[in-house]
Amino acid sequence: MMPVPDLIPALPELFLAVAAMVLMMVGVFRADRTSAVVSWLAVLALIVDLVLINRGPLARTVTFNGMFVTEQFAIFMKSLIVVGSAVSIVMARQYNERNRVDRFEFPILILFATIGMQAMVSANDLISLYIGLELQSLSLYVLAAFKRDTVRSTEAGLKYFVLGALSSGMLLFGASLIYGFAGSTNFDQLAKVLSSEAGLGSIGLIIGVVFLSVGLAFKCSAVPFHMWTPDVYEGAPTPVTGFFAVAPKIAALSLFLRVMIEPFGHLVHQWQQIIWAISLASMVLGAYAAISQSNIKRLMAYSSIGHVGYALIGLAAGSAEGVRGVMVYLAVYLVMNLGAFSVILCMERRGESVEEISDLAGLSKSQPMTAAALAIFMFSMAGVPPLAGFVPKFIVFMAAVHAGLIWLAVLGILASVVGCYYYIRVVKLMYFDTPAEALDPTAGGNAVRFVTAVTAVIILLFILIPGPLLATAEAAAASLFQG
Amino acid sequence: MILSALAFYLFAGIAVLSGLMVITARNPVHSVLFLILAFFNAAGLFVLLGAEFLAMILVVVYVGAVAVLFLFVVMMLDINFAALRRGIRQHLALGLAVGIVLLAELVIVVGAWAVAPEVAAHTAPIVNSAVTATNTQALGAILYTRYIYAFEGSGLILLVAMIGAIVLTHRARAGVRRQVISKQISRSRAETIEVVKVPTGHGI
Amino acid sequence: MANFLTDYLIPFAWILGGIILTVACLMGGMAYLTLFERKVLAKIQLRIGPNIVGPFGLLQPIADGLKLLTKETIIPSGANRAVFILAPMMTFILALTAWAVIPFNQYMVLANINVGVLFLFAISSLGVYGIIMAGWASNSKYAFLGSLRAAAQMVSYEVSMGLVLVTVLLCAGSLNLSQIVLAQSHGWFGVSWLPGWYVLPLAPMAVVFFVSGLAETNRSPFDLVEGESELVGGYFVEYSSMTFALFYLGEYMNMILVSAMTSILFLGGWLPPLNIEILNSPYLGPIWFVLKTIFVLFCFIWVRGSFPRFRYDQLMRLGWKIFLPLSLGYLLLVAFVLVYMGWLPKVA
Repeated sequence: MMPVPDLIPALPELFLAVAAMVLMMVGVFRADRTSAVVSWLAVLALIVDLVLINRGPLARTVTFNGMFVTEQFAIFMKSLIVVGSAVSIVMARQYNERNRVDRFEFPILILFATIGMQAMVSANDLISLYIGLELQSLSLYVLAAFKRDTVRSTEAGLKYFVLGALSSGMLLFGASLIYGFAGSTNFDQLAKVLSSEAGLGSIGLIIGVVFLSVGLAFKCSAVPFHMWTPDVYEGAPTPVTGFFAVAPKIAALSLFLRVMIEPFGHLVHQWQQIIWAISLASMVLGAYAAISQSNIKRLMAYSSIGHVGYALIGLAAGSAEGVRGVMVYLAVYLVMNLGAFSVILCMERRGESVEEISDLAGLSKSQPMTAAALAIFMFSMAGVPPLAGFVPKFIVFMAAVHAGLIWLAVLGILASVVGCYYYIRVVKLMYFDTPAEALDPTAGGNAVRFVTAVTAVIILLFILIPGPLLATAEAAAASLFQG
Repeated sequence: MILSALAFYLFAGIAVLSGLMVITARNPVHSVLFLILAFFNAAGLFVLLGAEFLAMILVVVYVGAVAVLFLFVVMMLDINFAALRRGIRQHLALGLAVGIVLLAELVIVVGAWAVAPEVAAHTAPIVNSAVTATNTQALGAILYTRYIYAFEGSGLILLVAMIGAIVLTHRARAGVRRQVISKQISRSRAETIEVVKVPTGHGI
Repeated sequence: MANFLTDYLIPFAWILGGIILTVACLMGGMAYLTLFERKVLAKIQLRIGPNIVGPFGLLQPIADGLKLLTKETIIPSGANRAVFILAPMMTFILALTAWAVIPFNQYMVLANINVGVLFLFAISSLGVYGIIMAGWASNSKYAFLGSLRAAAQMVSYEVSMGLVLVTVLLCAGSLNLSQIVLAQSHGWFGVSWLPGWYVLPLAPMAVVFFVSGLAETNRSPFDLVEGESELVGGYFVEYSSMTFALFYLGEYMNMILVSAMTSILFLGGWLPPLNIEILNSPYLGPIWFVLKTIFVLFCFIWVRGSFPRFRYDQLMRLGWKIFLPLSLGYLLLVAFVLVYMGWLPKVA
């Protein structure tokens, strides 16, 4: 009889799972008007979860027979994810009420997705990787179709589901090839097998890694596996799109980092080319395809594809510095995107949500503060110093240069210059174009406006005190390379 | 043993044939029925391997529950499979190509089995082969200890699938009268019957 | 050659003999079960019942059988011939197959397999196919509606039935039916002659199992599948002669099977009512077993005579909203008590 594994390292996940199930019971058995209660309780659960995550062991701890790992890297990434989820729930409140999709399952599905994402970050085995990924994806499919009475939301959910299932299949196929050639699904064992000469030369294993990275690239919507992103972002309800743009992306990228660095770190010369190619393709496509968009959510979709490209530069570098760059990038990206989506959630005219970029024309006249905040976010996304978005871009480009990937850095800088065009176009619309009919000044509600203000201040002032984040990211990146 | 070899060829042969029939049968309902036959024979193969628990679970879950729903859907939907198949000639080449690639990869996998000689050392045997435990005990003993994380995680996935199905399809219909049995039973005589004294020749 | 004889032929003949004997007993039992049912129903309704053919109507089943045999088999012109013929055969064969693992006493069992309970569960979950196939192949709306109802009903009740089985095997520590019976041979409260049957500690589960059994076999009050008054006979409207007879046989066989399962799982199978030496002889085992099975069968008929048919939504409510939580809760309770008191069965 085997002993029961140590549960303490997985305490945050266990707590969140129990909390989600309890909240479900609350939702089911309280007759009506439950979604407000459940939403706030879910936010509370996420805050407790955040505390538990940060009180967890700093040193690398493996449990559940090697299936689950936690270290500073995991703590950093999970914290970002939990913040993203909690803010998404808060921002969704008023939108859901107004659009008559105010159901208590919404925060619960976000909680389950968060558990899945935390499991992805902590995966130390191909099996637990897949389980975390599926838990997250399944919740996201449902969330995408949450506004089930509109055709577009249903379409988004279905499209996401079908393509997501396909990518899961690819990932599983890769995982089974890896298992077949290396004889283990455990990341530590894989690293050990690959450290030997015989392990490195295996073609089948490399094919498996390729399939695995295809699946992962799909999940973080890197080109050429990005096709679902614009449609799903456009069709899903806006708060869900905001959630999609932050938390799952962070989870998928941190999984990408862990899989490539930990078990397949010895194969770096093989996968570096792949990451190089998809990173460049994502940056270029994100920059050029966004130019012709008229819908703000589609624009954000292409913007997020581009950002994934920049973040992957750090992975292509394959060094601790590069990983640190990715982590800082994701932290800043989280804040920028939450801010941008909080403004998009405020876009209402006569009580109806509007999504066209042209609807923003003249916003500086009617709502100067909101316009200023959106301008800050746009400039930051474009990477204009001294705003926050500049710092991580700088770090990843430097990491690429240090790793000898000078061409990638140069092309990335060129792509970001192109990217500036469409970000700044939004700013130009708000400040210099003739105002369309004014947007509702009170739309969105206090919570969303508060998020806008806080994120704008963070983006603006980050350059003054970047130290703590950079230091934490450095320690966390170093912890990934210990294993 | 000749008998077990015979049984193997019987089960395997029927499984392959019925698998073939699944994709060639004209009537979709027949396809599902052949699929069930294939499942059944797979269960038979499991029995031959001594994995009786898996065999029974395969029958209970796949044949007894999943395939019933398949059959349901196929019977209810009026799918014209002949029309769906019309384009098969154009896509045949692509499908064959994908199939051949997958087959080639499988061959590579089998051909180059265990790249590193020390692989066997890395993978500790999961169940001690000397243990005389039955199937059920052996499976339970590792599912709830070694693989508890994956097991409970799968449970969560199924829970989310259930919530998702309810969220996306359940509608509280307005204007439906519901039967509340406790209310019906707890009605008292006083609130249902009124005894009225009717004066002769007047009515109420 | 001698090798071949002792290795294959004799065991084969032995098994074949057992199968033939079991099937013969079952057919006879089933035939007289119809008579039994009619007699009991008649008594409940203050009638006399069949009493013309033979003394006390004892030859009635034979007359019925002969009648069915001599009728013409009609296959509707719109029917899917192969499936139409296959459906009753499947129902009948499955009903017979399940008997392979039923122990009549400690030694009399055709196949003493380790996963006997699961085997029975698997076979009973297959029973729905005969009905669905019949309903679909008949190409008739009444038959189709009947089979749809049957499928939903059987799948629903299987869930709580499975949970009941889990509870029993938690107490017995084995999936082997003989082991489950033997686990009930220890008396209660340290008194060795009291029967240690599971019906006492697991009373709610026994009730759930019995009622789910009614639903699984589509017996009254859950006979919506046939529902003469609404579906003019349900899934077998279009069947006649022997094809109909096979359905009829299969249905009664399933009824006997569920009764036998109830008596094995909850009423101690072949164990005597009082655990004393003289009643404990292996020769008396099958008799106790048959008596218990007949008692459960009587309950089946009793329920039929007493309760009106359920409405479909009531049936679904009972299955999903009452039985499922109840059996789940009781399972947790039993597990808790067993662990807390240290009564978990010892396994190797």
